[in-house]
Formats: sequence, C-alpha cells, structure tokens
Amino acid sequence: MSQTPTPLRLHKELDRIWRTPPGIHRLSSVNHTVLGKRFMVVALCFFAIGGLLSMLIRAQLATPNSAFIGPELYNQIFTMHGTVMMFLFAIPMFEGFVIYMLPKMLGARDMAFPRLTAYGFWCYLFGGLILIGAMLAGVAPNGGWFMYTPLSSKPYTPGINADVWLLGITFVEISAVTAAIEIFVSILKMRAPGMSLTRMPLMGWYMLVTSGMMIIGFPPLILGSILLELERAFELPFFDPTRGGDPLLWQHLFWLFGHPEVYIIFLPAAGALSTIIPVFAQRPILGYRAIIAAIVAMGFLSFGLWVHHMFTVGIPHLALAFFSAASALVAIPTAVQIFAWLGTLASGRPRWDIPMLYVFGFFFVFVIGGLTGVMLAMVPFNTQAHDTYFVVAHLHYVLVGGFVFPMLAGIYHWMPHISGRQSLYRLSIPAFWLIFIGFNLTFFLMHLTGLMGMPRRISTYPSNWGWDWLNLLSSVGGFILTMGFALVLADMVLQFRFGRFFRRDPWSAQTLEWATATPPPSYNFAAIPRIDRRADQLEPAKIGPVLAGGSGYLGFARNGDQETMGVEMTTGAPEHVIILPRRTFLPLWTALATASFFLALLFGLYGLTPFGALLTLVLFLLWPTTLGQKKDFGPVSIGMGETAVLDVECTSNVSILANRAALVMNGTLFSSLLFGGLFLLVVAPNWQGIAPLDLPIWLAVVAVLAASLSALCCWMARRANTAGNSAGVPLALAGLGQLVALGLLVGLMVWVPQPTEHARQAVIFVVLGYAALHCGLAALMAFHALLRLHQGYLSARRQTECILAWLWNGYAAGATCLALGLSLLLAMMGQIP
Amino acid sequence: MTPLDKRSLILLVAGFTLWSLAFVLLYVLQALGCAYDWSHHRLILIAAYLASLLPLAWLALQRSRDRGATTSLSTAALWANRAAFAAGVLVFAPVTFGSMCL
Ligand code: HEM
Ligand SMILES: [Cu+2]
Repeated sequence: MSQTPTPLRLHKELDRIWRTPPGIHRLSSVNHTVLGKRFMVVALCFFAIGGLLSMLIRAQLATPNSAFIGPELYNQIFTMHGTVMMFLFAIPMFEGFVIYMLPKMLGARDMAFPRLTAYGFWCYLFGGLILIGAMLAGVAPNGGWFMYTPLSSKPYTPGINADVWLLGITFVEISAVTAAIEIFVSILKMRAPGMSLTRMPLMGWYMLVTSGMMIIGFPPLILGSILLELERAFELPFFDPTRGGDPLLWQHLFWLFGHPEVYIIFLPAAGALSTIIPVFAQRPILGYRAIIAAIVAMGFLSFGLWVHHMFTVGIPHLALAFFSAASALVAIPTAVQIFAWLGTLASGRPRWDIPMLYVFGFFFVFVIGGLTGVMLAMVPFNTQAHDTYFVVAHLHYVLVGGFVFPMLAGIYHWMPHISGRQSLYRLSIPAFWLIFIGFNLTFFLMHLTGLMGMPRRISTYPSNWGWDWLNLLSSVGGFILTMGFALVLADMVLQFRFGRFFRRDPWSAQTLEWATATPPPSYNFAAIPRIDRRADQLEPAKIGPVLAGGSGYLGFARNGDQETMGVEMTTGAPEHVIILPRRTFLPLWTALATASFFLALLFGLYGLTPFGALLTLVLFLLWPTTLGQKKDFGPVSIGMGETAVLDVECTSNVSILANRAALVMNGTLFSSLLFGGLFLLVVAPNWQGIAPLDLPIWLAVVAVLAASLSALCCWMARRANTAGNSAGVPLALAGLGQLVALGLLVGLMVWVPQPTEHARQAVIFVVLGYAALHCGLAALMAFHALLRLHQGYLSARRQTECILAWLWNGYAAGATCLALGLSLLLAMMGQIP
Repeated sequence: MTPLDKRSLILLVAGFTLWSLAFVLLYVLQALGCAYDWSHHRLILIAAYLASLLPLAWLALQRSRDRGATTSLSTAALWANRAAFAAGVLVFAPVTFGSMCL
C-alpha cells in the first residue's frame, strides 16, 4: 500500500480476489453480478414458459366449444400460468435485478451475504424445476394460483398436484426470504461513505420498503402452505370445517400475503421508473420527499386491504367498508408517484428513446389498471364482477402495466450496462408497438367479456352467449403480443452479438452504477467513492476513471480479502470494513440437501425427511467455519487517511442486523400462527361441545422456566463477554436449559390427545412444535457460541456469536411463553363437566 | 445530523405503524364483539376508534423540534404521519355506522 499501483495492476489484483473462474467452478460463484444475471435469465425463461401457457389458454378460448384442451388439463394450465408468472417470474426477476444493481447503485462491492444469494438462487432453480417437472408429468397443481381450500385439500385433490404447489412454492420462497433480509441489510449498512439515507437514490428507498414488506408479507403464505401441507399429509385439520377448521383461514393467510405481494412486485418496478425517468427528462426527480412518504404509506396501506379479495364470502358491512376504504385510499400514494413522474417529464427536457416508449406504455396501461382497481374496490361492483374476466383484465393491466412494461424499459435502459454495448434499435420500435397493441387488444376486450358475465377459469363456453368474437379478437391480440416479446428477445440477442462497444454511462445518467466499467468488473469499484451530494446527481463518467485508479475508500487489494465498506445506517459515516466470504460450493450442496428434504416430503417418503433436514442443518453449520478472526486487529486503514475496525469487531455489523430482521420475520410467522389459532377459536364452526383438556400445567411451567432461564444465561454470557470475562459457563447452561425445554415441549406434543380429531388439538400440537423447534435452535446457537469461544473467535471486542445466541435464546423464551399461553387457552375451551 | 435523522427515520414509520395496530385492534374488537355478543359493541368500537386517532393526531402535528433544522427525512416523516392520520380517520370511520355483525 505504500506506492499506488497502476489502474491495470490494481484491476488484476482485485479481479484475482473477486472473480469467478470458468468451468465447473462457475457453480461455486457467490458474486452478485453473476448471480443477479443468473436470476434474471432464469426468470426470463420462466416468463417464456408462462407465456407459452397463456398462449395455450388463448388458443383454447379462441372459439366456443373448443375441444383443443380438456377441462382437467386446462385447470393445470391456468394454475401453472398464474403460479409461474407470480412466483417464478415476477419476484425472482426483480430480485435478480436488485441483486445485480443495488450494490452498484449504492457503492458496495457485493451484497451482505454472498453465499446466501447463491443458496437462494439454487433453491429458486430447483423449486422451479420441481414445478415444471410436475407439469411435464401431467400432475401440475390445478386449483388456481391461490389454491383455495377445500378444493385443494385431500378429499377434493387426492393426487400429488396440490402438494407440488405447496412444497414447490415454499421451496422457491426460501429465495425470497433470503433475498428480503439480504436486501434490507445491504441497503442499511452497505453504502458508499457519505451516502446518508437522505442522499440515497430513490431505488434504495423503494427497495428498503419492499424488502421490509417482504419480511412481513411472506411469512403468512409460508405458514399457510405449511399448515395446508400438514393437513394434507398428516390429517391435522386446520381448514376442514367438519373438524373445527375453517377454509376462510386459508383465504386470510393467503391474501395477507397475496395483496402486499402485488405491491411487492410493483414497487421495484416503480423504483426503476423513478431512476429512468429523470435520466430521460434530463432533470432530477421531482418530489423526492413526497415519494418517500408515498412509498412508506403504500407499504403499510397495502397490508390493510387483503379482505377485498374476499368481499363475497359473507362479511359484515362494517368490515367491508373498512377494506373498501383502504383499497380506494391506496390509489392516492400511487397517484402521488404518477404525478411526480409526469411532473418530472413536464418540467424537464424529455428525450425520446426506447426506454421512454415503454415508460409511456406503462403510464397508459397502469393507469387503466388502477382505475378498474378502484372500481373493484367498491363492494357492490365487486359483487357483480367477482371471478369474471373483468378481474382477469384488471389484474393483467396492473401486473403487465406495473411490472412488465417497466421491466422492458429497464431492460433497454440497463442492458448496455450488462453487455457494455449499444442497442441496435432496428427491432426495438416495432417490438414495442406489437406489445402495446397486442396487449390492449387481448386484455381490453376481457373487460367486456367479463361485464357480459364470462367467468374466469372456464375451459370453454357455448356459442350463443355473445362472447365469441370478443374472445377470438382477444386471442389474436395475445398472439400479436407474443410476437412482440419474441422480437424483444431477438433484439436482446442481437445487441449482445453485434452491438457496438460503448463508453461508460451511455445515457448520461447520474447514478453510481454507471461509474463502473461496462460490463462491470467482478469487484464493481476499484475504490469506493465518498458521496457529498444526493446520489442521483453524480457524474459517473467523471468519477468512474478516478475510482478505477484506486482513489477512494479501500482502493487496494489487502490480504486477498473481499473487502467492502460498512456504514452507519442513517448518516452513511464509515463504520467498519466488511470482509465477505469467498466463493464456495457449500450453497449448492446445501440447496441440494434442502431439495432432498422437499422431494422426500413430496413423494410421501416421510421416513427420509429427517435425513434431508439433518443434512441441510449440518451443511449450514459448516458455513461459519471460514468466518471470523482469532485476534483483535483494532482500526485498520480504509484509505482517504481514515481508519475503521473490521466487521467482526463491530457490534452493528450486518450479521447481527440480519438476525434481527430474520427474527422479525420469524415473529411474523409465529404471530400468523397465533392469529390462526385464535381465529379458529372465535370464528370457526364445530367448536361447541368439545371437552376441555387437562394440559399438564407443571410440565408447561417448567418448560417456560427452562427457556427463560436459558435466555437469562445468554444475557449474562453476553455481559461477561463484553466485560472481558469468560462466557463459557452461562453459554453451556443456556444450551442445556434449552434442551430441557425442548424435551418438555416434545413431551407435551406427545401428550396432545388425537391431534387429527379437532383443529383445537391440531393447533396446540403445531404451536408446541414451533416452540420446541425454536428451543432447539436456541440451544444450537448457544452451543455454537460456546464452540467459537473455545476456538478463540470471541473476545470483548468480537461479540457477534454471543449476541446472536442471546437474540435467539430470548426469542425462544418468548415464543415458548406465548405458545404455552395459547395452548392453555385452547385446552380450557369447552364446557367444564 | 445523526440524532435528528435517526429520530426522523423512526417518525417516518411511526404513524403508519400505529395505524396498522389500530387497524388490527378494531378488526379484532369487531370480530370478538360479534362472536361473544357484546352489549356495548358499537360504543367500544367508537371508543377504540377515537383512542387510536389521538396518537395519530399528535404525530401529525409534530414539527421538527429544533426549528429550521428540517431535513428531507423529517419532512417526509411529517407528510407520512399526516397521511396516516387521514387514513385513520377515513378507513376506520365505518365503525360509527356500518352494521357490525352478519
Ligand atoms: C403474456 C401475456 C399474457 C396472457 C395472454 C395472459 C393470459 C391470461 C388468461 C387468459 C388468464 C385467465 C385464465 C382463466 O381464468 O381461465 C390469465 C390468468 C392469470 N394471469 Fe395471465 N396472461 C399473460 C401474462 C401474465 C403476466 C405477465 C402475469 C403476472 C406477472 C400474469 C398473471 C396471471 C394470473 C395471476 C392469473 C390468474 C390465474 C388463476 O386464475 O389462477 N399473466 N392470464
Ligand atoms: Cu388485492
């Protein structure tokens, strides 16, 4: 570090550390640029599959009384179309975009947990393949993309179809869960120094809110899937009304996820628009603060409207009015953003280019979708239009307008970043018009067929109801639309093959991602800049070469470590140096082990599932072995004449924040479970005439005590460790205490009389199981901290493992208390004899 | 800048967090009242409605403590909190007139 190397030398040194070698070693990549691209490519493949399925749907519906596809196959096709589009295309597509782009926009060299990114990718790929494989085998899910019970429960779907959905989607959702936590933490902790939250480009804000929504939004779906799978596999009745369950519980859990999900898909797209529009309007975005307030409002409001999908199930007026008002209200923050974008364009010097065509398409299509959305939010109208093609039209206007058009704008805007080449344009314009006209032809007419009474999800219709030529035109539109997409694909291939190489920042954009060379090097920035103004008003073409020369933070290759900056959450002041783990095959192996677990469940080989779970756990335990350090280094140089400590020596490091976020997510799952139990207790039929159970209270009290004392021990261990004393004894006690709690909870589970007989017992059984699992995890965390202590990884400055043990033990204690509280309440239900 | 921004960040989500809690509270009270046939159901709902509006109103009136020291974040927070108050007034208003049970 004494003399500065030439830019080329520096590039070679850094690249040696960060690069993904060719050949089989590609599979070990943990690099966000590589994985982001893989996510996007796989998502586009699934988009093609989903599109193909929609063409089959439209071919079938083009003419009345069509015998092309029979009803059973049709059910599978529309279910797979919806499922593939939502879970295998839209979510992974924006995840891939964000994984690729966010660190570059915020000035980091990678995401916070590169190996987790890779693990998420493999889970996504394998889960997706399970679904597609099932489809090819003719046993695809067939109950619609929201899998309503009782249709999807065992008596009415005896085959494997529904299990494919429940298990496949849950497997895929692992990638959403890991991405959510990783994105959240990376935004808060991994920015260029000086980039305070108020200097963050809007994309950062959008993704901060989106990832927060994912942390709260996905757990209800995951819980619902677990419960339904438990009902299907082991007959625990959660949704079966004859045994005290309630199909409405499924609808609540699904839509508690499902509605926010729509906004989870829209917000990243809106973030892309907020990034693209100022570039082409040639002025900074209008209403930066108003947009922040609007996305926060949207994030929260979108959780208050899930019941609008259930308006017709029989709900009191008061609740209807509640959800109707919230649904209409959410249009306001959306409108704030739309007007901010329009205002930006109106007051700037707009420059027409291909991305702007799609921005125009977005405005047109999305606004129509929003208006029909407000129509559907009105209960009387909803009652008429529910489950008709009007809804299909509405949802495609919103999803295609709010996601596909912005995505295409984004593809044309950022492709030069990925390829380093310029667009050719020859195909771009006709492609746009085919898509735009084809889309409106296909879906506008569906409003009309819907209003004429055509229900969704029917495989055919008679010819004398006046729907014939509208459907035919719709299908013609669909094929025009597909031709448009095919042209876009050809356009992309051509750009990669024949586009001219071009300098960095071809659009004169002002965000940091354009300061990398294009295509970007494996380490993004040879040095990390100091940001002194809002980071959507930078001059990438100027900063880029400076950074490439190594002037900035961490502008050197040190010890062969993958280093990047960790900053204070709000101010962006440099706080610590993050050393990221290097590439490894572990994520792949772990994902394969996880896949074996899910496949064993899917094929009903329940004897094998413990091995899959155990193997996954053991592999996960190998992850931390390469992390950490055995001595304190104190502050090290970070360039620019400043110093900072290493992440291990900082208590606000990414691992701790991520575990906090994971616990919030976990807590949401648990709250959903408690809600489910209470919901059934209060609302479900067939709870009269059950006899109270005499839960062995002493066992419960001892379990609570054991878990709570363990948490206390962990807290003391943490104190002792901070004070420089040994934390060994309290940690060991904590681990043992949790094992005792685990044993008692399992004992209680065994005690529960006939869990399959009534939802009451089933809920108690599962709630106890949840607590037992978390006591087990807490024990694991305590013993892990103990092991690390003995290996010398802990000190008064290196506290991470101790803090994590305390967090998980505290959580386990809380969960045990609540679980036993609910169990007791449910056990007391029934007339005292 | 640090303490002010940290406070603003909390304020940014405070209003709508309260809004969500009030939402859950009212929905739960509505369901419980129907399930167990409460006699003063409407009264309880209206009381809860007004009680949850109080903190929202208070937040909506919170200007930055140190005058002049507004940042983008504190302004955004103020707007978000006002929106949360308005959303509270509007969305929860049906408790005063809607029919409560099926
Ligand atoms: C490529 C153009 C597309 C066409 C022609 C198309 C066509 C259709 C049609 C005709 C249906 C109704 C099937 C029925 O009810 O019988 C449908 C359902 C659906 N589509 Fe699309 N779609 C397209 C793109 C998309 C995209 C991009 C998304 C999401 C990002 C999407 C999500 C859905 C969903 C969630 C359903 C509901 C499935 C269900 O009822 O379970 N579609 N689509
Ligand atoms: Cu919705």
